[in-house]
Amino acid sequence: MLQKPRAHGRPCAQAERECGDPGEEAPSTSRGATGSSQGSRASLAAPAIGQRTQKQLDLKVAELVQFLLIKDQKKIPIKRTDILKHVVVDYRDVYSTLLKLAAERLQYVFGYKLVELEPKSNTYILINSLEPVEEDAEVRGDQGTPTTGLLMIILGLIFMKGNTITETEVWDFLRRLGVYPTKKHLIFGDPKKLITEDFVRQRYLEYRKIPHTDPVDYELQWGPRTHLETSKMKVLKFVAKVHNQDPKDWPTQYCEALADEENRARPASSGPASSS
Amino acid sequence: SKNKRCSLTPRAGNQLTPSLPHFVEEGEEAEEEEEVLTKEVEVGADGVSAMHPDLLELEVDREKCRNIRRHYRQLIYCVQQNREDIVRTASESLTEALEEADVLFDCVSRTREAVLDAQFLVLASDLGKEKAKQLNSDMRFFNHITFCDVLFVFVGLNWMEAECEEFSDCDDSIASFFWETVQKEATSWMLRAETFHYIFGSFKAEHSARKPRLEHHKRSCKMEGNGDMPMKLKKLDLNANQETTEKEVERILGLLQTYFEKCPDVPVSYFEFVIDPNSFSRTVENIFYVSFIIRDGFARIRLDQDKLPILEPTNTSQVDEENDSCSYGRKQGVISLSLQDWKNIISTFEISEAMIKNSY
Repeated sequence: MLQKPRAHGRPCAQAERECGDPGEEAPSTSRGATGSSQGSRASLAAPAIGQRTQKQLDLKVAELVQFLLIKDQKKIPIKRTDILKHVVVDYRDVYSTLLKLAAERLQYVFGYKLVELEPKSNTYILINSLEPVEEDAEVRGDQGTPTTGLLMIILGLIFMKGNTITETEVWDFLRRLGVYPTKKHLIFGDPKKLITEDFVRQRYLEYRKIPHTDPVDYELQWGPRTHLETSKMKVLKFVAKVHNQDPKDWPTQYCEALADEENRARPASSGPASSS
Repeated sequence: SKNKRCSLTPRAGNQLTPSLPHFVEEGEEAEEEEEVLTKEVEVGADGVSAMHPDLLELEVDREKCRNIRRHYRQLIYCVQQNREDIVRTASESLTEALEEADVLFDCVSRTREAVLDAQFLVLASDLGKEKAKQLNSDMRFFNHITFCDVLFVFVGLNWMEAECEEFSDCDDSIASFFWETVQKEATSWMLRAETFHYIFGSFKAEHSARKPRLEHHKRSCKMEGNGDMPMKLKKLDLNANQETTEKEVERILGLLQTYFEKCPDVPVSYFEFVIDPNSFSRTVENIFYVSFIIRDGFARIRLDQDKLPILEPTNTSQVDEENDSCSYGRKQGVISLSLQDWKNIISTFEISEAMIKNSY
């Protein structure tokens, strides 16, 4: 059977180094081992700045793609500083090229879009550039806890109630679905943590304290990731579908959703940039 | 819900309306006491103390200010308590509170009171903002309780209402079913990238600490001592397949030669030989094996007078002679057989059993 995978790195990069084939071109400073491998880096031939072969660049881009994919697992936005620190390192001067190439590869191979969470935020997320297809739902494997359902319901609630609701209202609603802030849930575990921490950290929701409230209450709004992964119109359609009604049955929300669609269609001047 | 309206009517002068709660900030009274002159003060019937006019004025001022502060604090407290009503209902209470604060402010001359006024204004403006938000949402069209009910219907659990009072009382499996169904619908409205996982394990971003050498050494020793190691696959044995093929070819050749010996003048119909009427896949396999026999020269395939392929034996001596390979003009042929062809042949030739019996 296969050996246990090494703790660090890409098997090929590791293997390349270990083969120590003198005939082959010296592997780039893309290190198999991460972290405090200062010593190992020094021992490898560091290419002169500006003199990087296509192969080295390709290797770097491949690493960056892998890094982005792994970092996206938790759905927490990826910081530019992390990218520089862990992957790009001494290829800083070509950072934007690397990022652009990585984004292209992600789009071309995986159908994922690398987008900046907010303009000039220097944090990135991956979103699907392919519209979900009904057949996929059957084939889609176990993607962990099914939290999207809960999220979508909350997003629907927020939008239909005027883009903001209080935490009190949320729990008042969710308890009817058997979800409580203090009771352990069969599927969601700690719902309060999920909603007020995890979703917030993933930037699906914004969670702010409402001033002058006693007892303290918080308000929930859509976060930047939500605006990228879905839209007001889509959420309205979801709500409408659940009601078995037409989205136009809620004229206020429908108008708002239409306006949002128009904004999106306009060529964005400060649109999501895939490279900084 | 309580619909208390606090109507504070500050009266001119410095008398407290007795019905309102006496709301005093801790320590302030004590602070005040220190400032007051130790001179005794007599409170007369009209509420004004009898002392030196200048001091009296000072005292009146202080008393007045204290009252103003008390009023403000009461106003703030009142508004906070009735926050829900103010924000949610169409009541005028916020406007009224603002008007009262306005009147109060007319008497304000010192910073301390002005601060409280500012505090109240911040509170009022926050509530005003909340109220405005409520106006935008047009709540009457979207009812969150209805949303809950339609969710159950949407998922297909409308029967459930009769069964259990609260969703939490229900079976775990019902809850799972509910959330899975909602999940399925929800994901079709989001452009979420699937989480990526390596098949053979993940990339640890953190550099795992090197294990102390001693431990590593101990572990390797331990492994050697223990003889039960799984068999390592040193080399992939690809020859296995080839042996099977050869064996099969030999077997089939044997069958063919047996037939040739039994009926030396009757050539074998190719189709009758290879076709297994019970299995299409075995037929294909047979064709495959026979092709080896022909390639190696142990048999010949040609078309008879009816243009049907037949198998003929070759003289074994001829196989070794290279000349004969030329004289016979070895040709390449491609045989394709679809499922339908196979069926057609079986019916046409009335093949009822396979000539090539299986070894298994």
